[in-house]
Amino acid sequence: MLEVRDIRKAFGNQEVLSGISFSIEKGDVAVILGPSGSGKTTLLRCLEFFEQADSGEVLFDDIDVDLRNVTKEQIKAIRQKTAFVFQNYNLFNNKTALENILEGLVIGRKIPKKEAEAIAKEALDKVGLSDKYAYYPSQLSGGQQQRVGIARAIALSPEIIFFDEPTSALDPELIGEVLATMKKIAKEGTTMLVVTHEMSFAQDVANKIIFMDGGTIVEEGTPRQIFTEPKEERTIQFLKRLLPEYTYYI
Amino acid sequence: MQTLDLHFMWEAFFIALSGAPITLLITVVALLISIPVSFFFSLIRLNGTPILDQLCRIYISFVRGTPLIIQIFLIYNVMPILVERFLRSTQSTISIFDVNPIWYAFIVFSLHTIAILTEVFRSALKTVQKSQLEAAHSVGLSTFAAYRRIIIPQALVTALPNLCNATTNLIKNTSLCYALSLREITLRAKVAANPGYNYIEAYIDIFLVYLLICSLVEYGFKKYEKKLKAYQCLSA
Amino acid sequence: MLKFDFFYLLEQIPKLVPYLDVTFLVLILTLFFGTILGFALAVWKLGKNLILRKLAYAFTTAMRCTPSIVLLFLVYYGLPALASILAFDLNDLSKIFFVVTAFSLSFGNVMSEIIRTSYLAVEKGQYEAAVSVGLTRFDAFRRIILPQAAVVALPNIINSILTLLKEGSLAYTIGLIDVMGKANLLIAMNYEAHALETLLALSFIYWSISIIIENANGLLEQKLSKGRTFIKTV
Repeated sequence: MLEVRDIRKAFGNQEVLSGISFSIEKGDVAVILGPSGSGKTTLLRCLEFFEQADSGEVLFDDIDVDLRNVTKEQIKAIRQKTAFVFQNYNLFNNKTALENILEGLVIGRKIPKKEAEAIAKEALDKVGLSDKYAYYPSQLSGGQQQRVGIARAIALSPEIIFFDEPTSALDPELIGEVLATMKKIAKEGTTMLVVTHEMSFAQDVANKIIFMDGGTIVEEGTPRQIFTEPKEERTIQFLKRLLPEYTYYI
Repeated sequence: MQTLDLHFMWEAFFIALSGAPITLLITVVALLISIPVSFFFSLIRLNGTPILDQLCRIYISFVRGTPLIIQIFLIYNVMPILVERFLRSTQSTISIFDVNPIWYAFIVFSLHTIAILTEVFRSALKTVQKSQLEAAHSVGLSTFAAYRRIIIPQALVTALPNLCNATTNLIKNTSLCYALSLREITLRAKVAANPGYNYIEAYIDIFLVYLLICSLVEYGFKKYEKKLKAYQCLSA
Repeated sequence: MLKFDFFYLLEQIPKLVPYLDVTFLVLILTLFFGTILGFALAVWKLGKNLILRKLAYAFTTAMRCTPSIVLLFLVYYGLPALASILAFDLNDLSKIFFVVTAFSLSFGNVMSEIIRTSYLAVEKGQYEAAVSVGLTRFDAFRRIILPQAAVVALPNIINSILTLLKEGSLAYTIGLIDVMGKANLLIAMNYEAHALETLLALSFIYWSISIIIENANGLLEQKLSKGRTFIKTV
């Protein structure tokens, strides 16, 4: 469904993405792991065109994009098929929770208001915020705001949802509720591409792990492959730091 | 069709510039008087001392609510009479007309600037968190020392851009002193322009002189602000 | 000797108030043209065109360093001269034209800074989120960015209007008969006999207007807060 070929991106002299290639099938829950500075967030932002990649190709269903010559229509088309959940939630501050979700439906996708309202309410119910329709972001906790962000994404029925470190800005006790929500929608078959440090999610929910370091993909595989039988030294080092109880035999 | 008299412009520039010392004198005196007084007033405002606070608020409201030119006219109308009474009561032989109008300028601009700076300092002090004072007390500093060494330096960084604004406004406002027949920048150039009706050239020169002075002042403030901000950037 | 006639002061007020219409006319015209200029300048300052950006910033520096009265005279003397080069005769134009032009330039400058800083005060993430849910650039700007920027800008705009009102009093120097001009006439007609009373009456009028505007601004700030912390940009 989504195929990425040889994406490169440099900020000035610093090369952040040095040729990234991978593919995602429908229903995949792919997690990108890696140390800070490995380019994970940049990769995601390039896929939603918040950053302009220097070169590479993106094949999304039947849309074939050359990242050097992206057209506005292609960007629009891809954004219609995707949704993004931000690290800082980025809820529209001047709209209520319900209105936040309605924006994309009514204005973005031109769905009639009554229908949109039903979809929006269903999305908010799904993330467990049925009683917070009329609340403004400033009245919600971080975890609640992020759940609205997720609701905003799933309401659009996108083909894939990108998650950019969705729990990194949250207090520890609020992380759980967001991860639970993500797990729920993953089990329903949503295609997700997630950048995160939350190992529990990677181990329990993902069906594909991509390990990045220094702008390249070091290793790729199922959680079982990566966590219990890592092949690359760098992967081992990374996992050792994060999961001290594992030891590895090669 | 008229062309600019460049020869006149060259000469008039220096005539205008010769008024700069008076402009700067008024600015500096007004600042020297206003800064301590408005700092004191801002503390009164922050503490909310019953009667003094209300008086301050009325005073500030009046100064900020009326045009400066009216304030200048008011002082120019009222002060001479008060000064006259004072001089008579002390048996002085100085005539009212001998009093240099610059004294009235000092008074008006000080009063005006005090009102403005009080609000500047009040909001700057508010931005420094109360916890800084608590921390200072906990290590044994007196309130006075805490303000001097911890709070004021931090408030100063916030206040500096507004201080720069107030200073450049002060410099620009001195142009209104022509109403007091003070021979500052604007008046000198205007007088020089009268014989030949070279008003446009004169006003261009006046504009250039103010531009020059204000740019220098802004540059100076920016450098000072950078120096003060050093402690902020270290943690970045 | 100081002979203060309080009743004289009261008599002056109704003589002055009718001329407020000129004062407010100048204010509204300046607001209109100044805002248009301000928008244009702000767009240039935030845009990608280097030349336009430098021009806009140079204009701002020039305006910031120019006293209002100097600008007024520059426009009053300079514009007809400039126009005569293009073969326009501006000598019969009403004084209001020059006053509005001069103050529109300086107010436009102030507005451009307010617009620029309040636009920047809205986080970039708001725009990104808007386009990620499918809004066009225009819709994102109109529905998400603009409302939030306006909330930040409004108190500053109202403050600037107050300043404009006070600066506008200088229009009398080129002969405009607004409330300030009338006061000067009254003083001159009486050979400066009761100048103090007239000036105080004038002050009272300006002061009242200022108090009303400031209080309105305070109420507006409270209403717009909606529990959010406030960012003052200017």
